[in-house]
Amino acid sequence: MSKIMPLEVLSGIKGARPSQSIDELFDVVSKASSHDSTDMPVRIDEGNINVTVEKLRDDVIIESTNQEKDLIKRNFPREKNGFLVVSKVVER
Amino acid sequence: MMTDSEILKIHNALKTGSLSCSDLIAGKIGAIQKSSNNTANFLLEEMALKMASAVDNKIKKGEEIGVLEGVPFGLKDVYMLQGFNASGSSRFLKNYISPYTATAIKKLLDAGAIPLVKENCDCFGHGSTSENTFFGPVKNALDENLVAGGSSGGSAVNVAKGFTAFSIGGDTGGSIRQPAAFNRVYGLKPTYGRISRFGLMAYASSTDCVGPIARSLEDIRIITNVMSGKDSGDSTTIDSVPISDSIFYEEAADNEFCLGYYKSFIENENIEEKIKRDFYDMIGKIRKKGIEVKELEFFDTNVLVSTYYVLAMAETASNLARLDGTSYGERLVGEGIKDDYAFTRSENFTDETKRRIVGGTQVLSHGYSEGIYKKAKILLREIQSKFQSDFSEVNLIISPVTPNSTPQIGESLKDPLLMYLSDAYTVGFSLGGLPTLTCPFGQGIQLTAGKNKEALILKFANYLKSII
Repeated sequence: MSKIMPLEVLSGIKGARPSQSIDELFDVVSKASSHDSTDMPVRIDEGNINVTVEKLRDDVIIESTNQEKDLIKRNFPREKNGFLVVSKVVER
Repeated sequence: MMTDSEILKIHNALKTGSLSCSDLIAGKIGAIQKSSNNTANFLLEEMALKMASAVDNKIKKGEEIGVLEGVPFGLKDVYMLQGFNASGSSRFLKNYISPYTATAIKKLLDAGAIPLVKENCDCFGHGSTSENTFFGPVKNALDENLVAGGSSGGSAVNVAKGFTAFSIGGDTGGSIRQPAAFNRVYGLKPTYGRISRFGLMAYASSTDCVGPIARSLEDIRIITNVMSGKDSGDSTTIDSVPISDSIFYEEAADNEFCLGYYKSFIENENIEEKIKRDFYDMIGKIRKKGIEVKELEFFDTNVLVSTYYVLAMAETASNLARLDGTSYGERLVGEGIKDDYAFTRSENFTDETKRRIVGGTQVLSHGYSEGIYKKAKILLREIQSKFQSDFSEVNLIISPVTPNSTPQIGESLKDPLLMYLSDAYTVGFSLGGLPTLTCPFGQGIQLTAGKNKEALILKFANYLKSII
């Protein structure tokens, strides 16, 4: 079996295939001249949007309100006899 | 006081009792309902009238009201507002209810502004015309045969028609600035990180921005100040200084403005002759006032568009991977979980969204990531470095918003590449994370400055308004 997964499986879209319009964009990027190098270090300054580890928020659990919990349940796509129904995951 | 501020006009009328908030809100909702521009995905009538009545009662009791209290606004249907629909203009989420409220919207609610409408837009921000929507195309405020622009088309039209005092759009590659130009209103894409993205449906997280659309510069200033600030829900938010209203009254110092424009944007075979001529006319008027305008070299517009779309598609493929119908959205059932995913995603996404997801998946996969995605990241760094060096030479960059005038409805969907290329003048500033304002002068003019220099942009825009 090939280790390369087809686009259809990777994207989760049936019949997925490359588009000519997008291939043209890829072509422009691959042919564009650049002077930079991938070895160049990523700058942490005002020209860059990367967030440093020190600036990340604390990893804490924030309890959802009851209203939030109710809305999350209401958004669930399928419900039967009070249970939230998920897709069939066991294959025979 | 700036006389063209819609917010201040409403505020004064409410304060003096010459206008009741309930009448104002009912009138605006009625106007949206009667309109044929198709700007509304969901009206928030019941809540808006309840809030308006509370404002009227406060005024009757002689209590002070804040500047935004009772002022009606619209929000693009990509923002969370607890208890109300948030569809992203998609079939996938047409029945989805927001469990929480976006930070930017919460700040407006806390200031007393009244949300009227969830506004029609391109599905998940994927488009430049507001035709890629489950709710049908939005029609331009000036001519209903023309597109509204996109993706924040419904928001720009609502502001231009006076249905909302202001609207909150979202801009990833030009989605506030381009519809603002097509409908002749102001639209600001702030510095990346100035306004929290928490509660905005993610399209391409590294360039997504929340921003205001309004009919006056003063309104843009007021709303930007209210929504700005650091937020624990979005680690990329930054501190910013509020923009003072004094920028509209104080005299500009000698040499305060030094402008540049990109030759590659104007000396380009794709730009319409009239847009080019009007642009050079404006440059002439600015120079006549003794302000220096330098011609600058920049990247080819095709490289800017291609770099932007490669990165944006990669990010949207990742962001929309969560839409599989498991815990929310429209689920279609097949033989098992893999089938469910594939059916759900294939049937619920539009052709344009599928094109971007497939392109993004492709660019991140074996055989493409080295040559295309990593190359686009290198180009991104070069573009950002070029902006840094340009802003050591000038403090403002002026450009048209689009190379072409507003297209007819139905024209752009036939040729996706042409639609992508119409973003040629907006996407570069998104990649730079720079604040950029569309001004409704002629076919629309963009003003860009260095990061956090929104005040300078608004000051120059006000000056430019006075000389044209």
